[in-house]
Amino acid sequence: MDEKRNELKKIIMNTKTLPTLPGVINKLNSLSDNDKSSVQEMARIVSSDQVLSARILRLANSPSYGFYRVSTISNAMILLGVNVVKSLALSSSIFEIMEKDSVGLWEHSLGTGVAANLIATRLGLPEREEIATAGLLHDIGKVIISLKCSAAEDEVRRVIKEKHIYMREAEQEVIDTDHAEVGAWLAKSWFLPDKLSEPINCHHNVEASENHRIKTAVVHMADVLIKASGFGDSGDDYVPRIQQAAWDALKLNDQIVAELVEEMEDKLVEVKNFSLELQQGANAAPN
Amino acid sequence: MQKIPLIRATAGMVLARDVFRTESANGIPICGKDTELTESLIARLENLDIQSVYVAGHPLREEGDRTLDDLLRELDGRFQKVRQDPLTAGLHTIYTDYLKRSMGESGGRKTE
Repeated sequence: MDEKRNELKKIIMNTKTLPTLPGVINKLNSLSDNDKSSVQEMARIVSSDQVLSARILRLANSPSYGFYRVSTISNAMILLGVNVVKSLALSSSIFEIMEKDSVGLWEHSLGTGVAANLIATRLGLPEREEIATAGLLHDIGKVIISLKCSAAEDEVRRVIKEKHIYMREAEQEVIDTDHAEVGAWLAKSWFLPDKLSEPINCHHNVEASENHRIKTAVVHMADVLIKASGFGDSGDDYVPRIQQAAWDALKLNDQIVAELVEEMEDKLVEVKNFSLELQQGANAAPN
Repeated sequence: MQKIPLIRATAGMVLARDVFRTESANGIPICGKDTELTESLIARLENLDIQSVYVAGHPLREEGDRTLDDLLRELDGRFQKVRQDPLTAGLHTIYTDYLKRSMGESGGRKTE
């Protein structure tokens, strides 16, 4: 019964050489876990990857952050925070390997990260960076499924088209698991902290979140808002139901949500711009 | 008025708001409103890393001229599974209002 599921889990846990986890992120991880290492040391590592450096600087200088002219990696890292840089290292390398038609998923992820940041800011929550990063990574399981079992992914897409169901329902049908669980396996095998892996695992089931319910609730709401907006492409076109547990945990009301929608739509214009530029850059790159 | 990514701006569009060096309105203004964009002006804004501008009217239409009616129909499509749920139906209402407001005040065309 759970054969496919176990098989998939084994594949994921055993993949030591995922292209989405480049050497850079390993080094960053070990340095940031060490209290004695300086931002400069980390910046030197980031600087060894030109593509990553360019993207970090671009992000630090983008109006969404509102900083004024950041030209060094170390300043960018101080301003963005080490965690954002780490997540960018993850997401930019994912972008490298993603096919043209996966740009939609990348946009959905980036949009959810932005929306999660807006919600966290509006509600005055602590650890905004982590929340934004969790939003950015919440659908990482989809990337892995598409990389590791492209046949299953094709089948999932076919089932969605045929039955008009949510992607995770189709995934359950085809591979006995879903992208949230797969993402959580991956987060675990990458030693990502609970505050990231729990929102990834529970963004479709906020009630199951025990230790990081608030963060999970934000990521869930961000996902819902981005899907309501129709921004990017997460695999299916259906807005998920807002979960009561998330609504209660964040003490939301219609007034707050209306303000968030307005603010988010404004920001999404810039996210779209960022995405278009990256795609142009990718097309223009000599290799 | 419409906010558009600079990458989509074309010559002939007219600025509806001042463009600032940084996103906040207390940055240095670099270009006044009512200015008509030209190719060289757009290139200069790009060099200054401006991400988006506000232009008069509603010149940019995503994916082939979607009217307010189209947008609302797509919205209904996205919400088709959750219209019975009170919380999510509330979000649908919020989004409907948002679309009407943003398309309305910017001279969005009605379906012909």
